Amino acid sequence: MLETFRTLRREGVIGINERNVRYVNALNPRKLLVRVDDKLLTKQLADRAMIPNPALYGVIANARDMKKLPEMINHPDGFVVKPAQGSQGKGIIVVESPLKHGWRLASGRRIALDDIKFQINNVISGMYSLGGQPDKALIEYRVKFDDVFGKISFKGVPDIRVIVLKGIPVFAMLRLPTAESDGKANLHKGGVGVGIDIATGLTMNAMQHDRIVDVHPDTAHPLENIQAPYWDEILLMAARSYEVTGLGYIGVDIVLDQERGPLLLELNARPGISIQIANRKGLRFLLEKASKLASEKLTAHERIAIAKTLQATGAAQSEAVVGAAA
Amino acid sequence: MTSFRHAAVLGFVLIAAGLSVFLFKTISLGYPLASDATATVWDFEIFLEFEGRDEPARLEVYLPAGDVERTFPQEQFYNGPFGLSLATETETRNRKAVWTYRYPSNRKVLRYNAQTIGETASTPLPDSFTRAAPKIMPFEADPIKRQAFIVWTGDLRRRSADERSFADLTLRETFEARDVGEEYADEVAVLLEDKAGVIGRLELARQTLQSAGVPARIANGVYLTEARRRVETKHWLEYHLDGEDFRYFPDGAPARFFTIWYGASDLVAASGIDELDLQIALQAQRNAAIDIVRQSGGQPARLDRVFGFSELPLTTQLVYKVLVTIPVGITILVFLRQFIGFKTLGTFMPVLIGIAFRETALINGLLLFTTLIALGLALRFYLERLQLLLVPRLAVVVIFIVMLMAGITITLTGANQAIGLSISLFPIVILTMTIERMSIVWEETSAGEAIKQGFGSLAIASIAYLAMTNNQVEYLMYQFPELLFVLMGLCVLMGRYTGLRLSELWRFRQLVE
Repeated sequence: MLETFRTLRREGVIGINERNVRYVNALNPRKLLVRVDDKLLTKQLADRAMIPNPALYGVIANARDMKKLPEMINHPDGFVVKPAQGSQGKGIIVVESPLKHGWRLASGRRIALDDIKFQINNVISGMYSLGGQPDKALIEYRVKFDDVFGKISFKGVPDIRVIVLKGIPVFAMLRLPTAESDGKANLHKGGVGVGIDIATGLTMNAMQHDRIVDVHPDTAHPLENIQAPYWDEILLMAARSYEVTGLGYIGVDIVLDQERGPLLLELNARPGISIQIANRKGLRFLLEKASKLASEKLTAHERIAIAKTLQATGAAQSEAVVGAAA
Repeated sequence: MTSFRHAAVLGFVLIAAGLSVFLFKTISLGYPLASDATATVWDFEIFLEFEGRDEPARLEVYLPAGDVERTFPQEQFYNGPFGLSLATETETRNRKAVWTYRYPSNRKVLRYNAQTIGETASTPLPDSFTRAAPKIMPFEADPIKRQAFIVWTGDLRRRSADERSFADLTLRETFEARDVGEEYADEVAVLLEDKAGVIGRLELARQTLQSAGVPARIANGVYLTEARRRVETKHWLEYHLDGEDFRYFPDGAPARFFTIWYGASDLVAASGIDELDLQIALQAQRNAAIDIVRQSGGQPARLDRVFGFSELPLTTQLVYKVLVTIPVGITILVFLRQFIGFKTLGTFMPVLIGIAFRETALINGLLLFTTLIALGLALRFYLERLQLLLVPRLAVVVIFIVMLMAGITITLTGANQAIGLSISLFPIVILTMTIERMSIVWEETSAGEAIKQGFGSLAIASIAYLAMTNNQVEYLMYQFPELLFVLMGLCVLMGRYTGLRLSELWRFRQLVE
């Protein structure tokens, strides 16, 4: 057991304690957290920083706004209803297309306008927000996800999670929904995480339930060596999220849209640590190096350049450390 | 990392502060560490019964002096019609009660009562004994005795190697060798004269030691060996040699004794009365050691008034007895979460459940909790279909829990099941919150996770309950509230632990290769 502890330490694997004390608590000022907790605010900030994100059709905060609902949802490609302060995908309705009387949900079921209104009322009353506080419902563009990951995802929308330290992307992972995760890309629900090389955008090792896997559990398609498209754009969006939020340690979630390319889905101020298993590498060395190199004067492009070189040297170093220990 | 150093310093300072007060109390003030430590307290009574002669009467009785080492909480005098005055002799520090009455007639009774834990052979002699005493030559007025004394002590000195063997020889010759005629020095016979009692011999030994510059005194008192109505007074010699205290007990050394007065005089000096009957009675009582330390006055009592709960009303004290154990449970919880990686529902919920177990006991509590949570969850999922708003939904769950508890209590009482289900307001709130949190985890993560967290919570609740209701823990926390600083310091230190948790070793096992 002590040996395991030492090995993991040597490999730079960080635990929840270290993530909380050294990164989340130290780099994410509490008063700035509202920028990631309130998705409407995140969207507005992202728009200002030219980070593409799903177009906002409207916001419903009260009964008066509700009157404008038919107008807001009048889109042939469907729309998404999202609580502004929801977490973990709760309370989200994905509407695919209009039907004669009502709408068709992504799951195929039919939904009437009144049902949508009821759902939105729930959102407004705070059913899905933290602590049950009154919330707003966002009506936004429905992402038509890019087919690149079609073979390795089962239902649902795959997304890309990038860990960004003071504006420098350090780790990335592709999150794939599975039958078990019920179309959600969340890892603790059984989604598959695939490490992505920051320098190239190529997928590497994969994991599910903290265990290493090689193929997608539902499609049996190999997960390695798939090129993530728009990789440099994705890195740029992730790096810019730092200016948007002012938070030093965030997880940036990005989806790929068929027409509009990468879109910022949401930001997370307490990103999980399972990404280390997907990348087969501890976070510590990279985080510490990035922390030393980061500076307020660097532009987003310069930070991405740093991120790419870091990856090469970081890998070499951690191999050297492990080699020396063995 | 300055904040890291800051936290470490604060943590260690808190721990050091708490521990030093704790150690001071246990080592210097003698607070017992074990909750069940008891000590025998002796009820000591001097009982005087006599016949008044109808003329002015005066009784002088030595009383035990209250000094730090063996102070007693309360002493009582039963004076009857007599006037009482207390006097202290300057030289011997003896305390004396002087009872006086002008015209007592018929039988009278006077009593003195005190509690003591007594002294042992390790009780130190007063500081004055550590200074060399002036050499005093006795029998200055009597040339024959003086001559005999000089011959005898000269002989003793020749036969002894040092002060200590001189003292040993002196005591042996005055006491033990007297029956063996040959070895019994004629000089001793001369010196002892007719007063061959124990006191006479002790006095001779004292004079001999004093002549050699050894500080010595005769002590009189009782042996605390058994409870008796009439206890004999005993006499012994106390002297100080080469930095060591010695006590010579002619009647054999007792484990515990109780000194009443010093010197060769009698316990009671009376005039104007007849048929004096003097009784010294001893009665043993077993008391909690902590109470004895407390009641002995002085520093412990003063310390308790400032830092303890003993001055609070009894009901408040009982509340604090429970309250001070909660930090123990919380510290355990912090350890289990930060170092082991237990998953729990809510932050301090497990400790609150543990407190709720106080009212149901562990096994009943676990059964009751799991049953109620299971039923409550079922209801909660049913309500989910009705799509109620948060607050009304919580209210329905609370009402349901109250109904369930009432149902269980009534059923069990009807079935004459005396399993002591004392239900109070407190667990209901905790149950409702637990159900709500569990159902949220159930939906947002998975059923497995919710059950895992539920079991984690119950496991921690059980551990916390066992720790918080442990007699020794309760005793330590209540008698030594300074330990709260230690717990606080531990939590501060644990708050800066950035290493892996035990559960994370398992989680990242695939990275070890």
